Amino acid sequence: MRYDTIVIGAGLAGLMAALGRAGQGERVLLLARGHGATHWASGQIDLLAGAANPLAAVERLAVERPEHPYARAGVLALEAGVARLRALCADAAYPLAGNLHQRLLLPTALGALRPTTLAPATMVAGESRQLADGRPTLIAGFPELRDFFPPLAAANLRAQGFPADDRYLTLPPAGRQQGFDPLVLARLFERAEFRTEVGRQLAAEVRRGGYARVGLPAVLGLRHATAVVRDLQAHAGALIFEIPTLPPSVPGMRLYYALEEALLRLGGRVQLGAFVRRGEGRDATLEAVYSEAAAREQRHTAWRWVLATGGLAGGGLRATPEGELRETALGLPVRGPDRRADWFARRFLDPAGHPVFGAGIAVDAALRPLDAAGRVVYANVAVAGSAIAGFDPIREGCLEGVAIATGYAAGSLSR
Amino acid sequence: MGEMQPIEADVLVIGGGATGLGCALDLALRGMRAILVEKGDLTHGTTGRYHGLLHSGGRYVTKDPQSASECARENAILRRIMPHCIEDTSGFFVATPWDDPAYGDVFVANCHRAGVPVAEIGLAEMLRREPLLNPRISRVFEVADAAADSFLAARSVALAAREAGAEILTYHHVVDLIRVGDRVVGAVVEDLRDGTLKRIACACVLNATGAWAGAIARLAGLTVTVVAGKGTMVAMNHRMVNTVMNRCKLPDDGDILVPIHTVAVIGTTDVLVPDPDVYRIEPEEVHLLLDEGEKLVPGFKTYRALRAWAGVRPLYRESEAVRDRDIPRTFKLLDHETRDGVAGIVSIVGGKWTTYRLMAEETVNLIARRLGNTRPCRTATETLPVPPFEHHGPPAAGGTRHYWLGKSLATVEAGHAYGELICECELVTRERLLAAIDSGAKNLDDLRRDVRLGMGPCQGGWCVYRAAALLYERRHAAGLSHAHANQAVLHMLQARWKGLLPVLWGDQVRQARLDELIYLGVLGVQHLEPFAAPGGGLVTEHPAVATE
Repeated sequence: MRYDTIVIGAGLAGLMAALGRAGQGERVLLLARGHGATHWASGQIDLLAGAANPLAAVERLAVERPEHPYARAGVLALEAGVARLRALCADAAYPLAGNLHQRLLLPTALGALRPTTLAPATMVAGESRQLADGRPTLIAGFPELRDFFPPLAAANLRAQGFPADDRYLTLPPAGRQQGFDPLVLARLFERAEFRTEVGRQLAAEVRRGGYARVGLPAVLGLRHATAVVRDLQAHAGALIFEIPTLPPSVPGMRLYYALEEALLRLGGRVQLGAFVRRGEGRDATLEAVYSEAAAREQRHTAWRWVLATGGLAGGGLRATPEGELRETALGLPVRGPDRRADWFARRFLDPAGHPVFGAGIAVDAALRPLDAAGRVVYANVAVAGSAIAGFDPIREGCLEGVAIATGYAAGSLSR
Repeated sequence: MGEMQPIEADVLVIGGGATGLGCALDLALRGMRAILVEKGDLTHGTTGRYHGLLHSGGRYVTKDPQSASECARENAILRRIMPHCIEDTSGFFVATPWDDPAYGDVFVANCHRAGVPVAEIGLAEMLRREPLLNPRISRVFEVADAAADSFLAARSVALAAREAGAEILTYHHVVDLIRVGDRVVGAVVEDLRDGTLKRIACACVLNATGAWAGAIARLAGLTVTVVAGKGTMVAMNHRMVNTVMNRCKLPDDGDILVPIHTVAVIGTTDVLVPDPDVYRIEPEEVHLLLDEGEKLVPGFKTYRALRAWAGVRPLYRESEAVRDRDIPRTFKLLDHETRDGVAGIVSIVGGKWTTYRLMAEETVNLIARRLGNTRPCRTATETLPVPPFEHHGPPAAGGTRHYWLGKSLATVEAGHAYGELICECELVTRERLLAAIDSGAKNLDDLRRDVRLGMGPCQGGWCVYRAAALLYERRHAAGLSHAHANQAVLHMLQARWKGLLPVLWGDQVRQARLDELIYLGVLGVQHLEPFAAPGGGLVTEHPAVATE
């Protein structure tokens, strides 16, 4: 069967694109090797780091850097994409808080304040303006969780002028099992008796320390996080906020599920575990791709395509020992530093980042892939997200924003 | 200097590598008061940057038969005294199509002459034991090579030395040697943790600083020419062989493959560098090593390279040797009293890890004669203790006393400690990490040397944050602040990055990008107060621990 659109890649960009196409009545297949950066990142929506007004900064950037994916997709696509995402998350009872004109500064598991633009409602009580209201904050966790350490987070918050204490809670008996990780804990928090027990401990701490709010690791439920947080607040008698920590990202998974379920409701299909290894095209038209799955090769055909396979982290690009950069799904030309010697800075945290992570696929204003001479390679393919060349999503702090803008734009195109 | 409280000792040992530690232990066991100072962590120099091959001696039988004999004898001794540091892998010398087939017979004859046990085995037997080896290999000789954990061995020797009364000061940098007339009488050392200076008064200074021996000797106005021979190695994330592999030929670049712990290390190159503290790993070196690995194990390059690093061989040059590899690998004891007319100082140079104990024995023999000590050396028979942070797991089937691959996992399984793993790649539990922190680690890289933290595929992605937070929790009462913990994170990330840079392609570059997402995109380290005032017991800012 030939789909109207096949989207390759199941990160935020691919999901947004698939939702857009499915919403226009197309038969859509989302084909991916595995989950995308949602499962690794903070679960917050970063538009652009460093600016007090993120949207205004994106508007300026789109003018100054015409090859930036924000410029290619357009600021309107970003705004419309964010609006769609917010609506979808609200439908999933997982509302996003914040607005595009005001940066949020949210505490990290190290106690740093990290700028972002939108965050799940489960996280916003930790915003820096609230932390600065003069009332103390408690950072709490479980000693059994090796991905979250309240003492260091609280100490760093205090060093930045925010009164904060730390406490390790006692894990309720239901949680005493082997193989303890964020996902296990998230599922435990969906049990009422587990919440009651944790809430009882939090209430005692709040009474003792007069805390206005309590920061906990971002593991407060997987499917019903907003309700979990509301229930914990009622028990504790203080606001609760989640703090993202090491992958796997529970808040990222919530985003994924919210979008995946919306796509399925629109009749889209999702096939994970399919590693697209090559494409087949004619006259600048991509006709089929071949995926490797379950020890066989499978052929997939569609009229239109969205490539949202990510960059070097996502697996959309691969670097060879010989110093080449390859696009893994379709073998598209990659734009990046000419010489391998120029790929990396000597310092890991060099503020300028590492040039190789700006590599990707050059695109035109319709997000179609271009070759080195600037000619369109496939007219029926749109590229979205971190696979696009010319920006560094992590260093620029625009990972989710670009995914949303380009994913929305790719989902709206009706070629 | 007058106000400095002098510390008195019989012998000041400079250098916390295998040789210096071996000397400190030997001195202490013979009843001499020894103080050892090391500018970084123990094994911070060459000892902690080698491939981990316990030589059978086979490598040196042709060009350096004395070294070969020494290796053969010491090999047997080390297996007895530090079984927990040695994995009894055995070793092959294999003749690949790129090696001179005539060398095999020469090799065997020279092994017999040097006293290196050797036996030729059949090709079918070879492939049965190591199925991934190149099937075009024409001859195989088995020798008593093994894999040795030089980090753990150093910790064990240090523990024994302390128990015997030696004092060991890490992160203590020798600023000056004090010379009165034609005698060295002590040294001034700086404690890098807080910048304080200490004076050490001693009857003898022992310069056991390897590639840095020339610089130390200069402080006493002496000339010792030690050439720094940089050897680059690459750790691959698979043990494609479980036996040490050597090419059956004269020693050359990239002809050793050592399975050690969870990785296989291919080495080495040999490039003279002017300064043992300043060198880079060139991409050509890495590619050469991978190409040579391909000759031993077809498909070698398709495995994932985890990290590249280099150590500097301390090659003592008495005359102008033509090539680095032509400088003998035997060690040389320099008695500066007879050599230069300056008493109170000796230097031990050259040598290799396998012969560290013998080097120490001969060095301490000389010092003992000078100090009138007549007690015999006991280091060949005293079994070394196991540090508290080492696994105390079940013995392998068959009851070997040696380290065995799978021991870490068996320990974790026996204790159902999966959820307690701080470093998942290297199976480091919280309990072991805390024991290592309590043993005195001064930064996260020290913990790496103690328990292999961050040495696996993710190169610290998960464990650096966890370990820094635990370091803070364990030490903040003792003055380690949040800013020190933050700095420990940055120092370790940069230390790992340095080793990753030469091998960033494929999955490893993907991993590096994921680590960037974790530390910048999730944890926001770039938004934290980055640098702390000295103190808290943390050392990250001295050239001795530089990561660039």
